[in-house]
Amino acid sequence: MTHRWKWLLVGALLLTPARAFAQIDFTGEWAPVYHEDRPERLPGPELGDYTGLPINEAARLAADSWDADRISVVTQYQCRPHSSDYGMRGLGNLRVHRELNPATQDLVAFRTYMPAWGSERTIWMDGRPHPHEYAEHTFQGFSTGVWEGNTLVITTTHQKINYFRRNGVPSSDKRTSTEYWTRHGEFLTVVTVVEDPVYLTEPLVRSQNWYLDPGQALPTFYCEYVPEVPGPTPDAVPHHLPGANPYLTEFADWYGLPLDGARGGAETMYPEYRLKMGPPHSTPPDRCQRFCVCSGFECLVNPRRGRQ
Amino acid sequence: MDLTGYWVSVISEDWRWRMVTPLKGDVASLPLNAAAIAQAEAWDPAKDTAAGLQCKAYGAAGIMRLPARLHITWQDDNTLKLDVDSGTQSRLFHFGGTIPANTRPSWQGYSIANWERPPRGVETPNTIPIFARRTGTRGRSLEVTTTRLRAGYLRKNGVPYSENAMLSEYFDYRKHPNGDEWFTVTSIVRDPTYLESPLILSSDFKKEADASSWRPTPCEAR
Repeated sequence: MTHRWKWLLVGALLLTPARAFAQIDFTGEWAPVYHEDRPERLPGPELGDYTGLPINEAARLAADSWDADRISVVTQYQCRPHSSDYGMRGLGNLRVHRELNPATQDLVAFRTYMPAWGSERTIWMDGRPHPHEYAEHTFQGFSTGVWEGNTLVITTTHQKINYFRRNGVPSSDKRTSTEYWTRHGEFLTVVTVVEDPVYLTEPLVRSQNWYLDPGQALPTFYCEYVPEVPGPTPDAVPHHLPGANPYLTEFADWYGLPLDGARGGAETMYPEYRLKMGPPHSTPPDRCQRFCVCSGFECLVNPRRGRQ
Repeated sequence: MDLTGYWVSVISEDWRWRMVTPLKGDVASLPLNAAAIAQAEAWDPAKDTAAGLQCKAYGAAGIMRLPARLHITWQDDNTLKLDVDSGTQSRLFHFGGTIPANTRPSWQGYSIANWERPPRGVETPNTIPIFARRTGTRGRSLEVTTTRLRAGYLRKNGVPYSENAMLSEYFDYRKHPNGDEWFTVTSIVRDPTYLESPLILSSDFKKEADASSWRPTPCEAR
């Protein structure tokens, strides 16, 4: 190499902008892993199952009023998407791609697509600020990301009211969620931390996993508003009045749990709760009889009776 | 990444299977084969206790899912020690070296640790960053591989793993917006005897200020 070329090379190096890139690549198609809480996340949660949620009394009251007929009778609920924080828990197949600035090749955003409700999301990586608190709220909210070492840290605000669990446990539009995306080989772990001053007494921290599955052909999602069940009146919203929901103890009874544990709260999430938790709400069955073995989308209601 | 200190498991997931001993036959969520389901159906905690096997749910492949506190310290320059108060167990993560010959299977097995290397191509020293402008990222996660396990339980209600099981774990530390310190361990259990596919779990731990809540307890079969 001549001296002239050497100096050109040094000059080019000096002119190259120093970028704080941490190029862990999340792009690709990911398949969800349901090895935790599968009955809740696929078939759906039982009524009155608030376990593991640091909820306050207001959230419990709202959840107790939930009637699942609401989804069938009230058309506004029928195609209600999961918001970005709950969508990552409900999980689903996931595509991630990068948007680059064609002039600079800088990373502008990650964009994600999940087939459930056709959820599309943008995670801005260009340093833009979050909008004013009065700006529009959406189900996916407004997300920005920064790198911390090998982890992508995403902050999301401006989400609409949604669920912490889709049996009526509400989340408010005041919440902020922070996600930590970390890739280990072909596995992706996303930790979601949600702070909600309206319904939580401490942050809700959950972690979920995907594996790289580039062979997927993700479908589109259609949801059509259809009156599935005739309501008592056109504007009826199925509900239970306070103290009048007869189904709230079923979950504890089916699985041999103490009722106060089933009803959630921060204190029930720490090891010392085992020392003070009461006995099962009723005499438990001698073996599991409901949603005990799961495969694919199906859970066996009673393994001895076969599939339902 | 500094994992030393006291940590508490926060049970926001799988509560019904972790905070209480699940009902017999409740194997939901796990990718088990027929042999594993049959083993779980035969679970008898009284028999385990009588046989001195009450620690079967406290082995390395199951213990990180139990409600517990951890105490993590450096035993020496090359060994990270993870004590668990539930069941009074200790795990040793050995940096460098290989498994000593004739290592007998045990509840906690033999763990080899390293700081996870970044994906191939990301961190290549001495490359010229003109045409690929990445500065790369440092491998930061703690990666632990555990083998030589004594057969134990993935859940307290007798869901089995075998001596052939291999446990891979990735520990990731972070600080939350409110200042709390946490780590998540992503665990991958491969067991050709009882699992149809790798079992992938992630468990979350919050740092505690001191040892005031540390209460070692013996193993219990039920």
